[in-house]
Amino acid sequence: MGRAQWRAALRNPVGAVAAGLLVLLAILAIVAPILWGDAAEATDPAALSQGSTSDHPLGTDALGRDIMFRVLVATRYSLGLALLATAICVVAGVILGVLPAVLGRRSGRLVVAAVNLAVAFPALLLALFFAVIFGVGARGAVLAIGLAGAPSFARLVQTNVAAVSGRDFVAAARVAGVGRFRLIVRHLLPNVGEPLVVNATVLAGGALLAFAGLSFLGLGVQPPAYDWGRLLGEGLDRIYINPSAALAPGVAVVIAGLAFTLLGEAIAQVVGIRTTRRILPRRSATPPADPADGASTATAPAPTEPAPDAVLAVEGLRVGFPGAGPDGWTYPVDGVDLTVRRGETVGIVGESGSGKSLTALSLARLAPERAVVTADRLDVVGLSLAGGDGDALGDEPPRDDPAVRKHLGTRLAMVFQDPMTSFNPSMRVGWQLAEVARVHEGQGRRAALARAIDRLRTVRVPAPQRRAHQYPHEYSGGMRQRAMVAMGLMSEPELIIADEPTTALDVTVQRQVLRLLREVQRETGAAVVLISHDIAVVAQLCQRIVVMYAGRVVEELPADRLDRAAHPYTRALLGSVPDLTTDRELPLATVPGRPPDPASRPAGCAFAPRCSFADDVCRADPRLATVAPDQRAACWHPRLDDQKQHGQEPHGQEPHGRQPHEEGVSRA
Amino acid sequence: MRELSFHGVTVRFGAGRSALAAVDGVDLTVPAGSVVGLVGESGSGKSTLAKAAVGLVPTTDGEIRLDGAPLRARRDRRRLQMVFQDPYASLDPRMTIGASIAEAVPGRPGRTGRAAEVARLLELVDLDPSRAGSLPSGLSGGQRQRVALARALAAEPDVVLADEITSALDVSVQGSVLNLVRDLRRQLGLTMLFISHNLAVVRYVSDVIAVMYLGRIVEAGPAAEVLTSPRHPYTRTLLDAAPRFGVALDDPVPADSELLDDEPPSPHDPPPGCRFHRRCPIGPLTVPERTVCVEKDPQPAAADRPHRAACHFASDAAPASLEVPAR
Repeated sequence: MGRAQWRAALRNPVGAVAAGLLVLLAILAIVAPILWGDAAEATDPAALSQGSTSDHPLGTDALGRDIMFRVLVATRYSLGLALLATAICVVAGVILGVLPAVLGRRSGRLVVAAVNLAVAFPALLLALFFAVIFGVGARGAVLAIGLAGAPSFARLVQTNVAAVSGRDFVAAARVAGVGRFRLIVRHLLPNVGEPLVVNATVLAGGALLAFAGLSFLGLGVQPPAYDWGRLLGEGLDRIYINPSAALAPGVAVVIAGLAFTLLGEAIAQVVGIRTTRRILPRRSATPPADPADGASTATAPAPTEPAPDAVLAVEGLRVGFPGAGPDGWTYPVDGVDLTVRRGETVGIVGESGSGKSLTALSLARLAPERAVVTADRLDVVGLSLAGGDGDALGDEPPRDDPAVRKHLGTRLAMVFQDPMTSFNPSMRVGWQLAEVARVHEGQGRRAALARAIDRLRTVRVPAPQRRAHQYPHEYSGGMRQRAMVAMGLMSEPELIIADEPTTALDVTVQRQVLRLLREVQRETGAAVVLISHDIAVVAQLCQRIVVMYAGRVVEELPADRLDRAAHPYTRALLGSVPDLTTDRELPLATVPGRPPDPASRPAGCAFAPRCSFADDVCRADPRLATVAPDQRAACWHPRLDDQKQHGQEPHGQEPHGRQPHEEGVSRA
Repeated sequence: MRELSFHGVTVRFGAGRSALAAVDGVDLTVPAGSVVGLVGESGSGKSTLAKAAVGLVPTTDGEIRLDGAPLRARRDRRRLQMVFQDPYASLDPRMTIGASIAEAVPGRPGRTGRAAEVARLLELVDLDPSRAGSLPSGLSGGQRQRVALARALAAEPDVVLADEITSALDVSVQGSVLNLVRDLRRQLGLTMLFISHNLAVVRYVSDVIAVMYLGRIVEAGPAAEVLTSPRHPYTRTLLDAAPRFGVALDDPVPADSELLDDEPPSPHDPPPGCRFHRRCPIGPLTVPERTVCVEKDPQPAAADRPHRAACHFASDAAPASLEVPAR
């Protein structure tokens, strides 16, 4: 929410109009009473209740006062009263709103209940009620409108504060002994400020209208004082004689109300409550698959024939998003080669941001809408999704081609990290499974459900008959993940892609799910691609391990050669995770720095800034090169020595002991 | 640093049919100057226990003591500090990290005193003191977790409760935070309750390991002993399930038996007798004559068994020869 954003808001039409109107109103409010205050009060007995004349462009009122001047001069009073009412409303609302968060449980509930009760009354009714209580007049009206708006504002504050006060930093502040008042002022209010400010501006517009309404009814401003509402009321009596006497204050009310509402809208855009539609780079800006800058020279120079039994053959896969990169695009996945043979289990390991999940999604054509996926080759379960010229996917064959959908839907199975969100919560599990067979194979309801129950039994969901009729929330996490696998088995998949399938699960359940995947792989002969951040998990299940870093594959090796990993990053990954044999006396190996932002990757080897072996050679892009049988590493200085034991064996990362200011501070 | 002890601590949520005891009669001692690791699956009540200690959730029953004196007043709670799991949520996004840390500094040290203290604390957690003015958004996950640690230490606590402080971090960063915990412990002689679902992580930093299951401590003892000769079958199951290099997924472990219930029991309706019996590889499901597990709660006599194990057969659950029951 920097200055630049505010400046940008001024340039967009809504913001510009709001700002212009506000400046105009502010100037009027300040200047008009000074310049025309006397003129507006001056009675002209010679011109009582006139229509438009050259002396009085908008006519005069019953006492011969100039209506134009009166409307202009009334700006200050009208706006002042509206703002005052808004202030009362905001202050009362904020107090009522934060009280529940800092009071005890019981008194907090009482406040919430009281506010809820007050919200149930229409605001206008409340305003009239208060106006009668506080007496007719400007002061009464201000209090009435202010207090009438308070309950709904309080409700808004309560909702926002409740969301924030559940967060850890508020708990942390409480634990640190921060007092209630400070908690509100420093932690709660600043973090709920944006929606409140937006709402308050809209509220000001509403207050202005309400005031005009009350004054118009005679409950607001009393003579001799006057605001737009009173002028409107006076003018209305003679609307057939002099329409402008009523129209002018009406127009003023509309303009001022509009100014406040537009201001709220503009602020909302800046603080991001309502997002404006981002303008995407045009399709013609689609990045070339093989840009001249050599960004994808890590890929094989020319597509080679894939192994005949490959269920997945990927070459030069790039996934680009419009972003802050040098050419207006960022590439979270930047030239990935991957081959998976029939019946093989391959693990993809990487940290968050390495592009491993996006790779998986692209294979299943589930990449986000904005992403542009290109590849030199992308053969998934026997279907070519990209040609040799690096066609952008989504051009041909189209994304929603029913044939492609059916092909992928039956031969490719996906298992996601969070099985709670990958099931439709309002549909029984059995029917969701059955849907696969019904959509892709046109099976009848009964047959499809029978198969669903059978598949649930295959993945050892106990009492499948009964559980098929349950909803996803009635399943535990592990069971849901089993059901997800069962869904993949509804047709005969050749490839199962499991993206962090056990990350949300406990170790005991994790083991069960991994064993299930192994079992399914053996029984169906499907290939499994397991994606995880945990190299130990991957090593358990997979024959071959692919290590990703910064959108590229940096090493590919058989699982039983992990102790001979050649890439320093793979070694670092292995060394920094303690397992049950790690020596407790030695510090864990650490990697200084952090993974590069996809928008600003260093030239050459992306790991070089964190690597202690890096030298000038590493400024050039390393390609995946064979370092041992079945083992390829993208490194100019591959480690070929035996890394005897996982854990704290020196792999040259850093000398033992603490590294001052690691992570970024000492970063190259 | 002083000793923190839990005595029969119970935390109940809800009322009526939806009531559940997240923590159920926990006795646990964190001796002064040592790190106690608390492991258990999600929902076992480990975080709730820590939150009860710092006063974020009210206890229903039992007592939490610091050096034998019950903790009650709000003032006392400051003696315990907690570090939260998610460093992206535990720092106020609108406050500089310096201000976040300074807020926890006790007393009124004045502006320069406070700045010096913040600098000292940042130095202590291996962060550049000149970064005191940056907002959390400019920091990586590991750096944020260091700030969270510094904030906890700022209050000069007697005990630090670390709740899953590495599980939201990337693996390459996790190691450096664990190293920091070890170093701080050595430098400051921290007393710490270190909570994690990851046995390997807990093992790396702890002197004592306590295992929690369904709101109860089922086994507690010196780290090396608990890991090499677990007395409770649940501990054994956890150890077996932890992924290890060179150990294939196919090598069956007792808990892989198909007889056992895959579904973790609901805390709303804990099983009678031993709470683990439906998933127990040496319990009544595999050894039918062990009906005592269904009938009698092993918790009350736990203190007399090795590792205070809440298992009727703790004594004969010999380490290496944990039998694989015949199917």
